[in-house]
Amino acid sequence: MTLPTRIKRFSVLDRLSHVFLILTFLLQTATGFSRLYVTTVWGKKVNTLFGGYDTSLVIHEWTGMVMMVGFVLHSIYLLTRVDWRAPVKSIFGPDSLVPNLTDARQFGQRLRWFFGLGPLPGFNRWSYWEKFDYWAVYWGLPLLAVTGVMLMYPLSTSRFLPGWSLNIAALLHRAEAILAVTYIFIVHFFIGHLRPSSFPMNEAMFSGSVPMEEAIEEKPAWVQRLKEEGKLESARSAAPSLWYRRLYFMFGYAALIFGVYMLINGIMHARQISLH
Amino acid sequence: MSRISGTLKIAILAAILAAGAIMLLPPPAAAQEEVASAIRRYKDREASTGYYEEFEVRPRRGRPFVEVPGVRAGVFPYSPSAAQVRNRYRLADSHMGIAFYKEKTCQTCHPEQAKDIHTVRANLTCRQCHGGEPIASIQYFNSPMNPVRKHAYICAKCHEGASASFASYIVHEPAAGSAKARTGFPVLYYAYWFMLVLLVGTLAFFIPHSLLVGLRELFNKKRTTNNDAADAH
Repeated sequence: MTLPTRIKRFSVLDRLSHVFLILTFLLQTATGFSRLYVTTVWGKKVNTLFGGYDTSLVIHEWTGMVMMVGFVLHSIYLLTRVDWRAPVKSIFGPDSLVPNLTDARQFGQRLRWFFGLGPLPGFNRWSYWEKFDYWAVYWGLPLLAVTGVMLMYPLSTSRFLPGWSLNIAALLHRAEAILAVTYIFIVHFFIGHLRPSSFPMNEAMFSGSVPMEEAIEEKPAWVQRLKEEGKLESARSAAPSLWYRRLYFMFGYAALIFGVYMLINGIMHARQISLH
Repeated sequence: MSRISGTLKIAILAAILAAGAIMLLPPPAAAQEEVASAIRRYKDREASTGYYEEFEVRPRRGRPFVEVPGVRAGVFPYSPSAAQVRNRYRLADSHMGIAFYKEKTCQTCHPEQAKDIHTVRANLTCRQCHGGEPIASIQYFNSPMNPVRKHAYICAKCHEGASASFASYIVHEPAAGSAKARTGFPVLYYAYWFMLVLLVGTLAFFIPHSLLVGLRELFNKKRTTNNDAADAH
């Protein structure tokens, strides 16, 4: 029996979640930045695109609501993925995104590999930076959601909290948004597009599958485990069709260009915001 | 047609005069309620109506000594002469005695106060909240900006239903990372530095990390790319 040439890495639901996150995140970036930078010439232009200072806020709020619903649904989905007969083993196991001691060890190996002092660590299904990517979003979303809802309903908020908590909420919302935007548009895009083994684009999150040789090279422990568990055959996957590849290449590059455009303009105009 | 009696004439005249007097009264506040005293009127209201939350005013029991809010240094923090200079918190005309006052604009002396969201984004002018001349001190008993009624007289003009708690939002917030914020608004200060350290720390770790990955892969390996593998089918 021959080995499959491609194996499945992401389910349809995973990929749909990712596309959902891309669309909502970029829309939030655009409307949020357009308001943050409204005192600059560039910000005013973007803001006009979204119907001005007030209308862009309405779009921002509704998109935020949609994201919150997505976050809750995703959390429910996470709970269904835990094997409740052996929860500890399942949560800290190799299929889980929860960080464990192996990640710390592999990070040390990785540091030695950077300087040619050792071999590349044999990553399992998720490497430590992929886990960080995931949890960065997972903690950032609720923080933005809570502070965002506080700012949406300031009068109700001030019934439960002192009014000055709105100052804090505005600061946290802005700071976390800037953190998320810089991380995604610098680090995540570099890993996904620019690093040599991904260039011009890491397709796994869109096609849902990876070529076998790439999987063996990047995630040897994962392939080994699939082999041992006899799941390799069921993970066999067909190559994405040409039209679909064209589609996600265009989509991915549109997102990339948009993000870099936002980031560069954001940095260029940062000194003209004229708020504290 | 019966003749209008003298009493009725007087009554009509009194009504017209009363209406005129009402017209002459100052315009009503944005929220038509003010319950200022923590001791007497508020308790009366609470007892008679049974509801109080919407009209809650946190009582201010000011210390009898000269002080700057938030700074407490002994019973007499300042010498009497220093206090005269500094304590403009309770004056009917807070700018009383300032030289060449008429030649100045607000921002001549208060440039930092024009950098908040209300000024920069909502395009409010100073006088829309602080009122016309003479501008009373915030703590002046009859000032609309006095914290006992600010929410009703000022905030509620735009934020319908503003409460005293809502009015504790710091409109002129200090620059979040500044020494002024550290003493004046420590929660803001520490929230700012926490987020800044998180941002700088994350980027300082992951940008070199990504670059090292990229460099190492660039000089290390010759492998088929995704494209080649897919094209082979």
